[in-house]
Amino acid sequence: MSKFEANNSRIRVIETVSGVNQTVFDTVDDMPHIVGTAQVNSQTVDFATMSQTKHFYDVVCWTEQECSHVQEYVCDWEFVCGYEYVCGGYPYECEFVYVCNNEHVCSWQWVWQCENVTVCANRYRWAIDADENSSTVNIANLPTDETGSTIDVDFIVVQATGSRTRHGKDPRFNQALPTTVPTKTFSFQGSVLLESSGRANGDSWMRRIMSVYRSGSKIKMRVQESIAQLNRDAFDVSFPHAADTRSTYTFNFKVFFGKFRQ
Amino acid sequence: MAVVLSITPSRFRASGSKLDSQRRYIRKGSSGVDFKFVTGKNMDVSGGGLRYVNPDGNNVDDGVYNGSFSGSAGIGVKV
Repeated sequence: MSKFEANNSRIRVIETVSGVNQTVFDTVDDMPHIVGTAQVNSQTVDFATMSQTKHFYDVVCWTEQECSHVQEYVCDWEFVCGYEYVCGGYPYECEFVYVCNNEHVCSWQWVWQCENVTVCANRYRWAIDADENSSTVNIANLPTDETGSTIDVDFIVVQATGSRTRHGKDPRFNQALPTTVPTKTFSFQGSVLLESSGRANGDSWMRRIMSVYRSGSKIKMRVQESIAQLNRDAFDVSFPHAADTRSTYTFNFKVFFGKFRQ
Repeated sequence: MAVVLSITPSRFRASGSKLDSQRRYIRKGSSGVDFKFVTGKNMDVSGGGLRYVNPDGNNVDDGVYNGSFSGSAGIGVKV
């Protein structure tokens, strides 16, 4: 069952569902309605290439054996044998006798000389630099009434069509950063997350967002990027795709201006 | 031909059924609202993290965000 009331300046329609009166329409209530639209084309959203820096990490030391070939005067006892002409005795006689003696023999020789030495080296880690970037532009004016006065809208709804024209890569990998922008038209109020990336443990280290909102008599588009320092796991190796991290989007917006009460 | 005005015990229609008692017209409400219109910027980024301000005006952080953005609650509507 339904009920219609027209009473002084109020029109009300009530629908009774399962014995409960539900207001379908009531001129006393503020009802959302669209008071104007604006078409905003070719808005470019650009996120610049990330930078990376080499940071000192620590010093590592290890032991190495260092050897060199040197000439050394080497002496040694050698057992030397030979015939000797020996004289003596009675009657006095001389004869050759085979005699062996320990003799001290010295000579210059090439020898290896080794020693343990400690070797140290600095270790470096590359890191994507922390950075915060934002930009804000006016993209439309609020609508005006028949007298030329700006209409004080209560809300806006943005219908967007866009695409990523430059696919920024994750600096660690040869793959594009995931984007949340669908390939078809989508609607939003407020802000949209465009790109994000996480560390190995799942924590976020990078976010890129876009917001479209009313500020005074203008509709503004604010683009923000936040990057936390991201360290490379390996030492002395830079991020292979840091130079490919720039992303660019192009959007067409249809902005619907809404009010709850005239 | 469009219905200008039709009143029966079970249904009210007017203006070519633009106003129809069988439809649900959303209207602003202060309590018992069904959903909310977001009225401004509702995300912020800082320190590599994200803050999302839900339509009730509550902050939802990702555990990394270190900024101080505060959004506002949306306008509640009833169906």
